[in-house]
Order: sequence, then structure tokens, then C-alpha cells
Amino acid sequence: MTTETHQGHASERAQDALLQQVFPPPAPPEIGAALDAELAALQPVRTRRPVRDALLIAGSGLAIVAAMLAVMRVREDLLELPLGWLVVMAAAWFLGFLVPAWLVVVPPRGQMMGRWRGAALAGGVSAGLFLLVGFVHSPSSGGSPVSPPYHPGCLGVGLLASLVPIALAALVVRGAFPVGARWAAAALGAAGGALGGLFLHFHCAIVDPMHVGLMHGGVVVVAAILSALVVPRATDAAFRER
Amino acid sequence: MADPRELMDRYCSGDSAAFRELYAAVAPKLYGYLLRMARQRAVADDLLQQTFLKVHRARGAFVRGADPVPWIYSIAHRTFLDDARRNKRAVVGLAASDELPEVAADFNGLAAAHRDEPRHDPEVAKAAIAALADLPAQQREAVVLTKLDGKSVAEAAAIAGTTVGAMKVRAHRGYNALRKVLGRPE
Repeated sequence: MTTETHQGHASERAQDALLQQVFPPPAPPEIGAALDAELAALQPVRTRRPVRDALLIAGSGLAIVAAMLAVMRVREDLLELPLGWLVVMAAAWFLGFLVPAWLVVVPPRGQMMGRWRGAALAGGVSAGLFLLVGFVHSPSSGGSPVSPPYHPGCLGVGLLASLVPIALAALVVRGAFPVGARWAAAALGAAGGALGGLFLHFHCAIVDPMHVGLMHGGVVVVAAILSALVVPRATDAAFRER
Repeated sequence: MADPRELMDRYCSGDSAAFRELYAAVAPKLYGYLLRMARQRAVADDLLQQTFLKVHRARGAFVRGADPVPWIYSIAHRTFLDDARRNKRAVVGLAASDELPEVAADFNGLAAAHRDEPRHDPEVAKAAIAALADLPAQQREAVVLTKLDGKSVAEAAAIAGTTVGAMKVRAHRGYNALRKVLGRPE
């Protein structure tokens, strides 16, 4: 290290020390009456257990998909479809659900706030990929119906499948995101939308690329937008003025 | 002083004395942060109380074993921003021609008992306080968190909900502005 660098660091340390002197930690006021009153009635609270919560969300998501398939039936051409494509796409939809949800719900070790930035990125990437894959590759068994491409029922049913995991996740992360709440909510929406996509993957036999791209992939986008608009109202309630 | 993780743990288990200890451990630096952001003692007092009320209401979000301090700072950051938006305070800066408040010692947060202790050149202190107050809110926050509160750039970025790169730039620009004041020849 050169003498100039040494001198530069020493000067910076001296300036840091001077700053600390100029701005010492002030004496804060006493605890206010409103908080004192709340403390007088303090009760134990159940704290978050992120891994358990994430597993609960994942398990309930799969249970919802299974229940909906049992009620609304699997697609008629399921056994005639290429097995590899069926499995790989199912895994992709499931990962599209699990990864953003996990990143939001499970914070890094020793921290309280989940990785909302990474989760939002993962949600955005999965939304883009599912739209793209739907447009370019939707194998047919040969007998699958190809219309109507804009049948909106899939969008509604997909959103319905996404409701429970989004609501559960919003419940477990309430109060955990003083910043980034909207992005975290969008990521949870994308995760729920991917679960809806997983259901549609096994349920809907329409193979028109416009339908699969817009209505199946679109579930991820629409769920993310709706969740970003609605979920922070629930997760941020503790941070709002009363 | 006990670890904030342990205090928060006991507080969530219903121990109000642990909350008071947590307040005593965290509030001085947090108050300093809010004071430098809000630039008015009365506002900072109110923001501090609001922050801890919100901590209290959201305490169920605690993860046992996690450090609650960055989360508490994030709540303070958000509380300040919400208040500033409501009152448009964040966009009000001291113009060069404006006179600084006479009570500079109050502004830097020194307790009354310490006010008479000459620990640094008062001119430099006054200039530094003015320079810090003049910084844009984001740069001011970056300097306060990284230089005065001793947070790492990553921690400061997480508190403010921004990227590490953006926080680095804000801290660098803000600190450069302050260095011009602090490093000037006597």
C-alpha cells in the first residue's frame, strides 16, 4: 500500500471520528403514554417460524391443486401427452410457485425481512417464461381441442387456485416488510399464479398457443398485479396510522 | 447491555421489561437517525414514538434468533417517509441564504448535560450540521446510516429498501459534500 493511500485512509478515519464527535447519539425521549399503555397489557405473541410457514404454504398449495383437479377433473388427453414435457412443465410451474414464495417467506439466517427483491425478480422471470413457453410450445395429443383461444375461464379458475396460498403467505408475513411490501406482494401473487398455472397444466386441454400463453401464463401476471394492489393493505396494517 | 435478539425474544414472550431494555439499547441511535432526517426535535420525538408503536403492533413478525434492529430501522425509515409525504417536509431544505437555527446544539441532539463540553471546533460542527441538513434526504440518510450509525452499506440498503449500489452512490456523494466541510483548512 502506498504512503498516499495510508494517508488517505488515516484522513478518512480522522474525518469519521470528527463526524462521530459532531453528531453524537442524542438522548431519546422517554417511552410515550400510548406505548406505555400498550405495554401495560402486554401479552405473549406467536412469532414467525419461516421454514415451517413456507412448507405449510407449499403443502396447502399442492392440496388445493389436487382438490381442484379432483372436483374439476384432469384433462382428457393427459395420458396421450409426452411424459417428459408433462413432467418438466409441471416441475417448472411448481418451481415458479415455490421459489418466489420461499424467498418472500424465509429470510436469510439471522434476519427478519425476506428477500423481496430476489422474489420479485424470480416472479418476473417466471411470468415472462410461462408466457413465452405457452406461445411457442404447447404439444397436442392430436385430439385436443384447439379452440377457443381466448376462453377466459382458465384465467378465472387459475386465479381461484392462487387465492389460498397468496392469502396464507400474506397472513404469515404481515408486519415483516416495512419496505418492499408491494414487491413482496407481487412476488407472492406471481407464486400463486404459477400454482394456478400448474392446475391448468393438468386441467385444460386447449393447446392453442395464444390460449396457453395468454390465459395460462397470464394467470401469473394478473395474479402478481392484483396481489401487489391488494395484499400490502393486509401485510402493512401494523405500519399504518390509527 | 443485552443482545437485541434476546431482548426481542423476551419481549415477544410477554416481558415488558425486555421492551424497555430494547428501547434503551436501540432508541438513542434510532433517535439520532430520525432527528437528522426530520431536522426538528418535536417531529423526531413523534416519529420515534410512532416507530416503536409500530414495532409493538408488528412484533408477531419477529423470527426468533434474528436481529430485529435492521427491521426496526426500516420501520423508522418508512415512518419518516410517510410523515414527510404527508407534510411535504422532505422537499424542504435550507437554502444557502437561510439562517441556521440558533439552537445548533439542540439540533445535533446533545443532551443538556453535555452541551457545554467543548469537544470539537464549534465552527466546524456548525458547518457540518448545516452541510448534513442541506443534503438531499436520500444522501443524508445514507451518510447517517453508514457513517454515524456504523451500518454496513448492505445493511443501510436493506433498511432503506434500495440496492447496495444505489446506497453506495448516495453515501459517497453525501460524504464527499461533508468532507469538504470537515476537511477544510483551519
